Amino acid sequence: MSGAAPIPDPPASAEDAEDLGGRSRSVWFWDGARQALAGPMLVVSVSLLSVGGLARDAGFSVEIAVASTILLWAGPAQVLFFGAVAAKTSWPVIAFTISLSSVRFVPMVVSLLPIIRTKHTRLPTLLLAAHCIAVTVWAEGMRRIPLVPRDGRMAFFFGFSFICFLGTTISTAVGFILIGELPRPLAAGLLFMTPIYFVAALTRNAKSPIDSWALVLGLAIAPLTEAFAPRGLDLLVLGVVGGTGAWLIQRVLDERARA
Amino acid sequence: MTEVYDQGLWPWFVLIFFGFLPSELWRILSVFLARGIDESSPWLAWVRAVATALLAGVVGKLLLSPNGALATLPLWGRVGPLAIGMIAYFAIRRSIFAAIVAGEAAIIAAGYWAG
Repeated sequence: MSGAAPIPDPPASAEDAEDLGGRSRSVWFWDGARQALAGPMLVVSVSLLSVGGLARDAGFSVEIAVASTILLWAGPAQVLFFGAVAAKTSWPVIAFTISLSSVRFVPMVVSLLPIIRTKHTRLPTLLLAAHCIAVTVWAEGMRRIPLVPRDGRMAFFFGFSFICFLGTTISTAVGFILIGELPRPLAAGLLFMTPIYFVAALTRNAKSPIDSWALVLGLAIAPLTEAFAPRGLDLLVLGVVGGTGAWLIQRVLDERARA
Repeated sequence: MTEVYDQGLWPWFVLIFFGFLPSELWRILSVFLARGIDESSPWLAWVRAVATALLAGVVGKLLLSPNGALATLPLWGRVGPLAIGMIAYFAIRRSIFAAIVAGEAAIIAAGYWAG
């Protein structure tokens, strides 16, 4: 998992000039694609293998399984969707559950989009970019995109996302065909990909105490919200409580540093 | 019951109206919420912390109340490999790849051990 190319940022006063670090947009697009190929694509693809199998168990075709990856672009929501259909849950309940699980995209999109866009980015581009944001793309993007010059960021982001979509489309179809024939320990290994990757990537992303505290508090509070928060809302409660806690800790640390 | 989903446009209708739209709603809303926030906004640090805590919570949930093949492992078989993966991460110059390899090796071993 290589770092981004070390391109120095030109001074911010150069407002009118395009800030591309001496490269074209298509070079940045392929740089994003290359960085995704170097690792993140594999992780996100492996984590979606099991979704294909779930779709088959729920009685859907391989086309629907692949379309769910492209349209939902959210492993956990896909697991919920096919799991709920297989359990013959009513349609309004399925829609409601999916919607609740996708509330987590709000802080992800709101924190990543201001880093990627420029003042001139148009609404359709923003909507497409927001659609591409899922866990892996967010976690990797938060670390990699600030290293890209401002006007190259959207191209880099789309290159990175494109490869992730490509890999997962293939792996969803492969999972649809293969899963069920895997020995159980290997199937458990596939499902474990998401937890181990998240924790390692979030640790690597941590630049200041607030990030580490958010990670630690999130993990520590999980058993509590799991037990006490209303079902479906537990993650939301956890995010707000853990995130606000980390933010307060950072404020206290900043005050001390200033005093 | 399941054969129904194989026929015609019905599965597409289901996927779009009960899966895609309820989920995409939040991404669309977020585009407008993000409008007032620029990269240097103090809100961004808070939003970022909420997103990080939330993702850590997703991990906690996956390990505490797992489904599928993960559920066949005892709690130590799920939490232990996470710890082993993170030890490898710090031991091998903060490498995500090392964490994945060590964690995966540990959980597959735990699977054969417990099964």
